[in-house]
Amino acid sequence: MGWEAVYLQQVINGLSLGAMYALLALGFTLVYGILELINFAHFNVFMVGSFVGMAALELFGLSGQTQILTGFPLVGVMTFAFIATLSVAGALGVIIERFALRPLRGIPGTVGMITTIGVSYILFNIVLLTVGAGSWNFPNPLPRISWPIGGATLELRSLLIWIIALVLMTGLHLFVNKTRLGKAMRATAQDAEAARMMGVDVDRVIVTAFFLGSALAGAAALIFGLYYNYTSFIIGYTAGLRAFTAAVLGGIGSVTGAMVGGLIIGLIEALGGQLIAVRWTDVIIFSILVLVLVFAPTGLLGRANPTKS
Amino acid sequence: MPELLAFRAVDTYYGDLHVLKAVDYRIDAGEIVSLLGGNASGKSTTMKAIMGIVAPARGDVVFEGQSLKGVSVAERVRRGIAPVLEARRLFPRMTVFENLEMGAYTRTRGGEFAEDLQRVFALFPRVEERLKQLAGTLSGGEQQMVAIGRALMARPKLLCMDEPSMGLSPVFVEQVFDIIQTINKQGTTIFMVEQNANMALQIAHRAYVLQTGQVVLSGAAAELRENAMIREAYLGQMQVN
Amino acid sequence: MAERDTAAPRQGTIGAEVFAFLRRASPLARVAPHVRPRIGITLVFAFALLFPLIIDRNDADIDSAANALAFAALALGLNIVVGFAGLLDLGYAAFFAIGAYAYGVFASAQFMPAWSGFWEPFAWLQLVERFHQDSGGDLVHFTVSFWLMLPLSAGLAAFFGVLFGAPTLRLKGDYLAIVTLGFGEIVPIIARNWPSVTNGAMGLNGVAAPRFLGQSFGISATPYYFVGMGLIALLIFTSTRLKLSRIGRAWMAIREDEIAAAAMGVNRVKFKLLAFAIGAAFAGATGTFYVAKLQTATPEMFMFPVSVMILVMVVFGGIGSVWGVVLGAIILQILQSWFLEDLSQWLHALGRLIGVEWLQRIELASSIELIFGIILVTMMLYRRQGLIPATRRVQALSLAEQTATVELAAAPPAQRLRAIGDITFRGDEPLLDIKGLTVRFGGLVALREVGLTVPPRSVVAVIGPNGSGKSTLFNAVTGLVAPESGNVRFAGYPIERQPPHVVLGRGMARTFQNIRLFPNLTVLENVMIGMHARLHTGAVGALLRLPATQREEAAARAHCLDILALFGNRLIPRVDHVVSSLSYANRRRLEIARALASNPKLLLLDEPTAGMNPAETLELAGQIKNLNQHGLTIVLIEHKLDVVVSLADNVIVLDHGEKIAEGPPDVVRRDEEVIRAYLGRSAAIGSAAVA
Repeated sequence: MGWEAVYLQQVINGLSLGAMYALLALGFTLVYGILELINFAHFNVFMVGSFVGMAALELFGLSGQTQILTGFPLVGVMTFAFIATLSVAGALGVIIERFALRPLRGIPGTVGMITTIGVSYILFNIVLLTVGAGSWNFPNPLPRISWPIGGATLELRSLLIWIIALVLMTGLHLFVNKTRLGKAMRATAQDAEAARMMGVDVDRVIVTAFFLGSALAGAAALIFGLYYNYTSFIIGYTAGLRAFTAAVLGGIGSVTGAMVGGLIIGLIEALGGQLIAVRWTDVIIFSILVLVLVFAPTGLLGRANPTKS
Repeated sequence: MPELLAFRAVDTYYGDLHVLKAVDYRIDAGEIVSLLGGNASGKSTTMKAIMGIVAPARGDVVFEGQSLKGVSVAERVRRGIAPVLEARRLFPRMTVFENLEMGAYTRTRGGEFAEDLQRVFALFPRVEERLKQLAGTLSGGEQQMVAIGRALMARPKLLCMDEPSMGLSPVFVEQVFDIIQTINKQGTTIFMVEQNANMALQIAHRAYVLQTGQVVLSGAAAELRENAMIREAYLGQMQVN
Repeated sequence: MAERDTAAPRQGTIGAEVFAFLRRASPLARVAPHVRPRIGITLVFAFALLFPLIIDRNDADIDSAANALAFAALALGLNIVVGFAGLLDLGYAAFFAIGAYAYGVFASAQFMPAWSGFWEPFAWLQLVERFHQDSGGDLVHFTVSFWLMLPLSAGLAAFFGVLFGAPTLRLKGDYLAIVTLGFGEIVPIIARNWPSVTNGAMGLNGVAAPRFLGQSFGISATPYYFVGMGLIALLIFTSTRLKLSRIGRAWMAIREDEIAAAAMGVNRVKFKLLAFAIGAAFAGATGTFYVAKLQTATPEMFMFPVSVMILVMVVFGGIGSVWGVVLGAIILQILQSWFLEDLSQWLHALGRLIGVEWLQRIELASSIELIFGIILVTMMLYRRQGLIPATRRVQALSLAEQTATVELAAAPPAQRLRAIGDITFRGDEPLLDIKGLTVRFGGLVALREVGLTVPPRSVVAVIGPNGSGKSTLFNAVTGLVAPESGNVRFAGYPIERQPPHVVLGRGMARTFQNIRLFPNLTVLENVMIGMHARLHTGAVGALLRLPATQREEAAARAHCLDILALFGNRLIPRVDHVVSSLSYANRRRLEIARALASNPKLLLLDEPTAGMNPAETLELAGQIKNLNQHGLTIVLIEHKLDVVVSLADNVIVLDHGEKIAEGPPDVVRRDEEVIRAYLGRSAAIGSAAVA
């Protein structure tokens, strides 16, 4: 491939990765917008979700990369995996909120965040002890169809990833803008006490935010598995770092910001791996995170102010 | 006229600070009752106690004959108490229309919503013009209109207004007080915490004057208007037993 | 009668009786209370020193114990940053890494640049050796001694502590944590990807063992154990000395309420960086120690899980408590190295006994991180203060003390007030001169062209309805808020836009409308922080506790007690009580005492009598008048007009950010404009305004 084709390929890859990071960042920012809480556990809910997705697909006897489905069986299996992953991830988020975070609500400072670090650790180590430290093959039942575009290749799975991400983001957009509960969520994020005085059940709003946010993490996990064809206990940290940076870059607390940030980080990862060695990607991402927080803490689109007023 | 809301010997504390001291109020249906007082008198705590944000340590807040002890904020709104918050506190990144919708949050949708909306538009034509605008971009006076409208969307029996004139230009202050009178004539009882005693006493039927948590004066607005002691109370000089 | 010791069980139970008897009978009862901790510490150290000789000489156990000491040292260092100064550092292991790799570079065969003349003097100092390669060309072999590297690593890590801490100074707690986490991750990644210096993931090789009196430490763990003991002793000593000094107080003030700390004279930037530096230094020295013992270092040893583990040790042991975190670290290490192993063996046996298979295979030691996570969550939910809480709960006052009638100054006022120090101001010009001050928040004008002159030895009152800008005026004058335009001159110096601690240093102290005391500190500690700017002990002085420092501390303490005595026996009996246990009125008094401790020339009081009943108000007004008569200039925001009338020489009235009236109190209170401001404008139509 000529260099244009190489870069085009990386752009395609970057957009697929970006879609995944956008969903993961979106889930994270939903909770932050309401509680101003940095929820470390979110990224290991993502990791758990990928194992759930893998298990869901294996229920159908799928394993490895060799079996391919088409037509109705494919749709059926994917839908089931989808629903299973999102539900379990969402439920996990709700449980975490109920038992580890609700008792601490209202305590100022970093107490909540430290607790989420502990919860994150617990999830991580339960999975590590259960499935071990290796990589696991993530079944890929998609037909190996691809289309050439300007020298690069667009695979079916990239297309599917974009569709999933688009559907979910549209769904979320509709939810927060057109439904009663969704508007209550937005109101609570903007002024929780005023929302309460309109009769909003703030507890219920928070539970919903955790459920949706964690479900989005589950969706991102499914995308991860389909894209990379593997999963492992460590992906919470690696993908989590990127998604967190995406949320901060886009403007923490901003839904649009999470989406934009996710795409940017995805592109940076793909192109960065191409231009500089892959092993420095982590440093690049961390550096972006630190630079944004120090020099432009509100990010591209956000309002939440990480500095002391 | 039947009693709508009453405070019976209510005491509230903030830590160990005794804020409201055995306070009694009574608001009858159809009235405009104003709560006046200077700084740190306990006015905003009164509002919080009505809405359910603060619970009395002793005494009772009674609405339509039933005690509000243990009743949630949402339930109070359902029962017919709606707040217009101090400094408006609209949801800044939601449109005017969405803010109004939030006001109707506890009401089941249906024909009533459309009716209530029309009523608000009739009172505030400006609001109808700005329906799609983000609430945070409106001027102070326009925000106050929306805030009152938002409370009216709950079709309340009792409208609780916390410092409606604060931060408004004199022109808007007059408009707001005019509208309060109109709303009251349409049948809504109004309880108004207000720093601006002069304006409040012009439209209220009755008033209470609060100083450091105790009611030091009360009575018909017409009488209080002539009473020079109000100035003393505001300037924190009344001798209290 | 009731025992004053709140630690004893309730009276009347058999257990209580036995407990009380044992306490009286034990030898400890004959020892004075303040000596008991010292005996305890001595016993602990004696045991620790004899430990390798007592247990059967199993090198693996001693090695584990030495590891425990290393982690205790790390916990002590993190305790300074998180526990004392309240800065959540999630990347603390980076400093551990820096100390480790510093030793790795300067004391191993890892990094060997080409030899040149430049290295001659270093060879003469025995810091390097000339290494002759068979393939030709000479290389530099670093051979810096372990003992020299300990302080050098500490210094290097401290440098990085400042470097990593500087960008975080303005960030809120959780974001500060994220940035430190970022740095904490970047360091091991660089280590992994810089094999020429660090040998990447394969680990350093050829690390020199320390030498003492000509003997190399060899492979036995025992000498390392004793070095570790020495290190711990030094770090405990350092932590404790710092905690009980001016430095420690400044850190805790920053932790409790940064704004109030600045307003009381603490230079936040300097002290935050100092906390980062010292905390990092502990880790740097420990890194060198650990690598010397382990004889290698890999990047995995310094990644996020290690930072979290140290945090768990600190949280578990007790954030802010020196002995607590040492205990926490040691317990968790023992858990990891011994207890879990033994428990696993026991479970294996149980499994064999009852025939459950997975029990026979379980290895608890590998689930140590899971246990850490569970401990962290549990502590956060149920016991945030840790095993040994940092703040001691002082026993409640006896009934007699609680109901004692209030006595005010027994000594003549002049003598008491001399405690405030020389505050007379010489000069004719006004002490405080404000011209054209405008403050804007976004689109809102909070103050517009406000001017005010405060002559020395006067009392000026600032009054006005809610939201008129009174507190904003104080905030702008004291540097908490930057004005858009205008001048403020204090004692001849321009102070607009100076940071709050500089303003305090010049002699202007304040109280806050919402009371900003340091909630977890005692009454005395709060007042001592007021003296921060007038004391001079630095970190070195705090550590060495030279006679000059001791004198300064004693004088400061006496000064603070004198100031507290101004309020009679209201605050003195509660001197060691934590602020959160004080009544509202006492908190107001304490805040004034804290401001007075800084020897101000000008005192700004923001609603000092708010929340007080008439009797308390009268008492405080009298005390303020006394202070003024002694020469203190006072500016006062106050709502109670009779207080204003009795105290103020001059009154200014603010409304909607503008000055609408000024003059003696009697004139102002009858001013129509003022009355209208308070009671509100009437409508154009309608009846007459209130007369």
